[in-house]
Amino acid sequence: MNVADRSLRRLTEWRSAKGFRVRTQLKPYLLLLPAFFFLTMFTYYPMVKVLRQSMFTKPHGERAEIFVGAGNYARMFRDMAFQKAMKNNGLYALGTVVPSIVLALALALLLNRSNRFNNFIRSLFFFPTLIPLVAAAGLWWFFFFPGYGLLDYYLAKLGFSETHWLGDSDIALYSLMLLTVWKNAGYYMVFFLAGLQGIPQDVTEAAVIEGANWWQQLRYVTLPLLRPTTAFVLVIAFMQMLSNVDHVIVMTKGGPQNSTNLLLFYIYQNLNEFYDVGKASAATVLNVVILLAVSIVGLRVLERGIHYEI
Amino acid sequence: MKLSRHAVVAVVVLAIVAMVLPLSAFARTKIEYFFPTMVEGPLAREMTKIVNEYNKMQDQVKVIAAYTGTYDETKIKAQAAFEAGKPPAVVLMSPFSIFDFVLSDYLEPLNPMIKADGMDPEEFFADFWEAAHPNAIFDGTIVAVPFQMSTPLLYVNCEHLAEVGLSCEKPPATWKELVAAAKKLTKKQGNKVIRWGIMMPSNYDYLGWLLEALTLTNGGRFFNTDYRGEVYYDTPTTKGALQLWYDFVYKHGVMPAGVTEGREVGAAFFAGKASMVMLSTGSLTAVRKNAKFKYNVAFIPRNVRHKAPLGGAFMVIMKGLSPEKKKAAWDFLKWLTNAENLARWSRFTGYFAPRKSSYDLPVMKEFTAAHPDAVVGLDQLRLYGYPILQVYNSIAVRKALEDEMHALLNNKTTVEKAAAEAQKKANQIMAPYNKDHASAP
Repeated sequence: MNVADRSLRRLTEWRSAKGFRVRTQLKPYLLLLPAFFFLTMFTYYPMVKVLRQSMFTKPHGERAEIFVGAGNYARMFRDMAFQKAMKNNGLYALGTVVPSIVLALALALLLNRSNRFNNFIRSLFFFPTLIPLVAAAGLWWFFFFPGYGLLDYYLAKLGFSETHWLGDSDIALYSLMLLTVWKNAGYYMVFFLAGLQGIPQDVTEAAVIEGANWWQQLRYVTLPLLRPTTAFVLVIAFMQMLSNVDHVIVMTKGGPQNSTNLLLFYIYQNLNEFYDVGKASAATVLNVVILLAVSIVGLRVLERGIHYEI
Repeated sequence: MKLSRHAVVAVVVLAIVAMVLPLSAFARTKIEYFFPTMVEGPLAREMTKIVNEYNKMQDQVKVIAAYTGTYDETKIKAQAAFEAGKPPAVVLMSPFSIFDFVLSDYLEPLNPMIKADGMDPEEFFADFWEAAHPNAIFDGTIVAVPFQMSTPLLYVNCEHLAEVGLSCEKPPATWKELVAAAKKLTKKQGNKVIRWGIMMPSNYDYLGWLLEALTLTNGGRFFNTDYRGEVYYDTPTTKGALQLWYDFVYKHGVMPAGVTEGREVGAAFFAGKASMVMLSTGSLTAVRKNAKFKYNVAFIPRNVRHKAPLGGAFMVIMKGLSPEKKKAAWDFLKWLTNAENLARWSRFTGYFAPRKSSYDLPVMKEFTAAHPDAVVGLDQLRLYGYPILQVYNSIAVRKALEDEMHALLNNKTTVEKAAAEAQKKANQIMAPYNKDHASAP
């Protein structure tokens, strides 16, 4: 036992009135203290502060705050832009999470066997993950360029006419989804690959001996055993859908006519462009609540997924 | 020999004085200056040179320049710094944010400092183009000094014009001529348009500016320069502007549908895929460099009259500085916005110098003689310049109209509905201001 430990013990041990040795569990708390300090400073305190702010309003041009209770929330739910942002975010989450997970799983199944060729292809698909979202958005901005962008250039050869990928309010959100799927599928693929490696060989072999075809193997062996991985990927995918906004800022600024406005961008816009701290705080609280809900539900599912039975 | 006590004291005192004197001479007031541009880039490099020059020129003030990204980011950073009790001294700011900063009481009124210099505020400001005044002076108080100015311009491809028998010396000057020319210039291959007659940027910010330009040339105005709680969206003049733009796309088929960004418009013009474009005078340098054909520039065509809203940015001093820093900030701002420096910045960037006297300098005379296209923009500014939209919560109010215009460009609404809806939204946004000022005459 070194000196530090001894002095710590002296701090945390004493004799009770009856002479028994009492030992508190101070050490783990002391070890947690630095992390707790930073969490409080940068996570819990801001959360409490934003919760408070969401119940106050400071009219633009005045210094004094006025308590409005749920007023900001009421204003937010009535706001057309907010309704649009929520709808968009839902559509965006579904439209990116499902395809990117299906794609990631398909890639993982195809590239499961490790050889030189597959490793090369794997890194190709993983590559978009390495690019920051801002840079990816800048890159795709040129892909989407109407007329001579990469997409239109090749589509024109197939006889398609010019498409306004980001300027058409019916298409813009789907264009962002396309970018997001491209960006994320490779990342999720890595998790599925790891999951696949973890499936015991004997189970698969048993299935083969029983005469299960490829589809039956996938349906009754691989997918059930991958469930924990799938649950985990689902959770992080949904989190990403609620916490990514860079591409919106770079490419569309939420336009045309709020067709690409997402919840996070809505917060940014209300705070920085519309000077509406109250509404921005209310939307932030909502965002945090949704994120917490997603992670709690996700973790539950995860835990259940681990105790599977075959 | 023993030194007398007096001698020792004298030597010590002298030594201390000798040590402290140069120190105090070098105790310069440090001030922060926020300049909206990326950290690396030609603008940041040139600005660094200018700031270094100032720091070398005198030994009272040391300016520390911070390159703070876009106008929006700069505004956000300045606001955050102010709220944290450490405001930057001088900030280059977009006119959209200036009035909002005035309302938040972030900006130092400049009148007292101008007067302390023995100048009359009105006299001080007389050298700046009149059109910029309403964007910088509120209730007679100067809070901002113009630094760079621009106006929208019509750019035409001379080769295309010649092809359809139009004179490049006389580009379209009226809406009617503009529509006729755009129709002639649009080229189709079967059903596919291979060349657009006209393109105009419709991304946020650019769109509002150009709509203001068209509304002005249609004889109307966008907002009340005397009372910042009023915009005129649901009016015949603004509706006329919306209609013209809508017709370009859906009636005449001479402009692509949907929202088109400024960069897309520029690229289309350079590639010969758009014969006429409306872009800022700020694009002149890029056009000069990239257009591999003969081009010409003209005023924004008029329906009723010529008029053009000014774009650009202004220098402000933030409140909450110590008296020394405030003095230093003012000294730096004055130097930065003198005729020579504004002329230098103008030649470097392609923006107009906001001071009239800058154009009396020999370097500027030389420059304008060499670049007649710059003179067109300058004339428009001089003769027909008008303040840019600046009301309570400008950006939100501007977006109210831009969102409706986006719907219009996607053929999702009508001009009547768009104007009415934009007006309704804008009024809602400005309601708190109008409630506060209801009793005002």
